[in-house]
Amino acid sequence: MLNCRQASLLASRTMDEKLPFWKNLSLKIHLLLCRSCQNFSKQLDFLRKISRQTRANPDFQLTDEAKRRIAATLSDKQTSD
Amino acid sequence: MSGDLNPQTWLDEYGDYLYSYAFLKVKDRHVAEDLVQETLLAAITAKENFTNRSSVRTWLTSILKHKVVDHFRRQGRVVSLSELIDQDNEDNLDYLFKTNGSWIEKPEPFPDPESTFQQKQFWNIFQQCLTGLKPRQAEVFLAKEIHGMSSDEICKQFSITPSNVWVLMHRARLSLIKCLKALWIDNGK
Repeated sequence: MLNCRQASLLASRTMDEKLPFWKNLSLKIHLLLCRSCQNFSKQLDFLRKISRQTRANPDFQLTDEAKRRIAATLSDKQTSD
Repeated sequence: MSGDLNPQTWLDEYGDYLYSYAFLKVKDRHVAEDLVQETLLAAITAKENFTNRSSVRTWLTSILKHKVVDHFRRQGRVVSLSELIDQDNEDNLDYLFKTNGSWIEKPEPFPDPESTFQQKQFWNIFQQCLTGLKPRQAEVFLAKEIHGMSSDEICKQFSITPSNVWVLMHRARLSLIKCLKALWIDNGK
């Protein structure tokens, strides 16, 4: 039987790659029985959801204005070389 | 991959990634924009030195790291390159689990931020938490979860194995969850 420490690692790993069959099965069984780890899985889903949204957050993107400015500087540089 | 060496495409392809990377380190929009520009300018000059051993993204990121260090130096802060790339070996997870492997503090699901005000607050907190991650964890998390890079690409970029990826990601997630709980949940109570 997995303990929560081991289950939490598998719950996270399964977001990054397909788990081997038996590991996946033991995680599923643990999750059926353990409310805390179910909640941990929900926290992981939450984290993934907000991370995906972060990509569209202006603080994580160059503004169009900055892009234009940088593009102009780069093409100046290239023509001067 | 030779078409990759066309500097015109770098800004479109890697600009947002480089920018968000710089933003997490310097926490200032204008400084981060300038660092991206400096990086791309340096890359154009050094184009001949690029070898196909690494991807363009990896190469640009390593130039950016040096630019970030230079920036801190100009500000009088001494930051070593190793501080920005630390290899973070063993993180101690003992603070989360009892010796029998059960949770010390039982996880509770996070509520979605509801009002616009809460959302704004939430983004600030999330950024703060990302900034607080160890550098290597922050880089891998940023690349994978925010910029959607595949595990394959990440292994190449950071020269790590697939199992390094999920171990790093697990630690990053635990730290972020701990941080969000402290600053978003407990602080709001």
